[in-house]
Amino acid sequence: MYEIWLTLNILFELSLQYLPAVIGSLTLWLVLMTIAAARGGAAWRKALGPAIAIGIVVTAITFFVTPGMTQSSFANMGYWVDWGNLFLYAAAFGAVGAALAWPIVAMRRRT
Amino acid sequence: MKDLLKRSPDRPAIDPERRRLLLGASALPVAAGLGLGLHPHEAQAALKTSARIVIAGSGLAGLAAANRLARELDGAKITIVDRKEIHNYQPGYTLVATGVWPVGKVSDRNVDLIPPGVEWVREMVAEFDPEKNAVVTDGGRPIQYDFLIVATGLHMDFALIEGMDVAAIGRNGLASVYPSPQAAQATWQAMDAFRQKGGKALMTLPTTPLKCAGAPLKMTFMVVDRLVQAGTREKSQVSFHSALDNVFSVPRVNQEVLERWKKLDVPVHFLSKLVAVDIGARRATFASPEGERTGHDYDFIHVVPPMRAPDSVKNSPLSWKAGPFAAGGWLEVDKETLRHRRFPNVFGIGDINGTAKGKTAATVKKSTPLVVQNLIDVIAGREPTQRFDGYTSCPLLVREGAALLIEFDYENRLIPSLPAIDPLQDSYFAWVMKIRLLKPAYMAVAKGRV
Repeated sequence: MYEIWLTLNILFELSLQYLPAVIGSLTLWLVLMTIAAARGGAAWRKALGPAIAIGIVVTAITFFVTPGMTQSSFANMGYWVDWGNLFLYAAAFGAVGAALAWPIVAMRRRT
Repeated sequence: MKDLLKRSPDRPAIDPERRRLLLGASALPVAAGLGLGLHPHEAQAALKTSARIVIAGSGLAGLAAANRLARELDGAKITIVDRKEIHNYQPGYTLVATGVWPVGKVSDRNVDLIPPGVEWVREMVAEFDPEKNAVVTDGGRPIQYDFLIVATGLHMDFALIEGMDVAAIGRNGLASVYPSPQAAQATWQAMDAFRQKGGKALMTLPTTPLKCAGAPLKMTFMVVDRLVQAGTREKSQVSFHSALDNVFSVPRVNQEVLERWKKLDVPVHFLSKLVAVDIGARRATFASPEGERTGHDYDFIHVVPPMRAPDSVKNSPLSWKAGPFAAGGWLEVDKETLRHRRFPNVFGIGDINGTAKGKTAATVKKSTPLVVQNLIDVIAGREPTQRFDGYTSCPLLVREGAALLIEFDYENRLIPSLPAIDPLQDSYFAWVMKIRLLKPAYMAVAKGRV
């Protein structure tokens, strides 16, 4: 459990390092959600599938570009812990991509 | 000391490990949802006391202790004594010195890390007088205390290497990662120039206890990697001179590193101590235990200075007077409670401690909460309840892009934090930990949160 607490603190300190990006992403998501909700007729349920698909694409892209962006390469993947962490990191970005895509797709597929 | 204490009689005694676990768990959904910096102990009533606590040093250990004590004590007068205005993230020096990080990433303002309500005396402790429960600053100011935490860090004895000049680091192939961010940056300049042409590199290790004892090994792995990247490895020689009969104190890690260096064609000269350097002539002199001196020319040399306690501790009653830590004047603490063995109102954290292991930020991370709890126990009139196992960690860079995540204790046991981690496996995860995640963790430690 201590490791979870430590991880949360690391994420918090990281978010402080990248505060403009964090605030920008959060603001953008809130704006998109507000617009989609205010316009009415947003197809939230129908948009889930495409949003998840976009999230998967973002995950895949992040998965492949991250080693290079961290001054490493796939050649340095030693064991499953490396692959697992890389996947989780990529999936986190994929989740952000899906969250941003959801209101946009929902607006485009209004009922 | 009990009269310093005004404690609520109905305050329940909670096992600290369990408390940490429960509070961490309870904070998880909130922190995950909001990303806020929560303090795991905020829900616990602070212990009321009028104790005067002096913390000598504002490195990671001093700051972490101050933040925790400020939170967990109500009414204590806490004073930090240290002149430095800039807080340097020393675990980042090897990244700067090997061209991975820019130098700007390792410096922060100390004032941002000192908690409100804590007095900051911008002077250095010049004298410890534990018989009188006082310290005297280099400005001549006496400060009385009821409890003292010694977190001064250590002294790098470059003066013991004849001809060595810290100001010359970066020129004539002279390198040393240890003294400062600027020295680390200059070390990278020297390494970068060296790798372009190749040549002969000498890597060194002294006999004394070291802060970040993995740094000389990391520098060796990385200079080899930089030569390979530059295409000059074939025409270069890299050799390691250890003044000891090993290169690392943990036997399993020592064996692993030596095997790797054998494959990388890095010969190791044991019991070969750097005693002099002629910077202009690029020539180093090594001595055997018998005193036989041997000269070696070099194109690049990484100098690791002998280390010891600062004079203020070494020359005080607080230092070890006999045994293996006496020569360095290290703080005489019990290795488990980190309480001074002769002055029970004195504790030590970090590099200054005369213990068999533990001069890393990871040691401070693990030991500071224990020391703070032990100090609170003593303030409360109890015996210290916490025991330190000597935990130390070393993310050992083996090349650009991979590292080993080595964690061990006093008994030289490899003790990975997570069972899945293989400490002797080249790992991308360990690399990312080192370059991206450890500084945030460090900052959380300095703020007293983890």
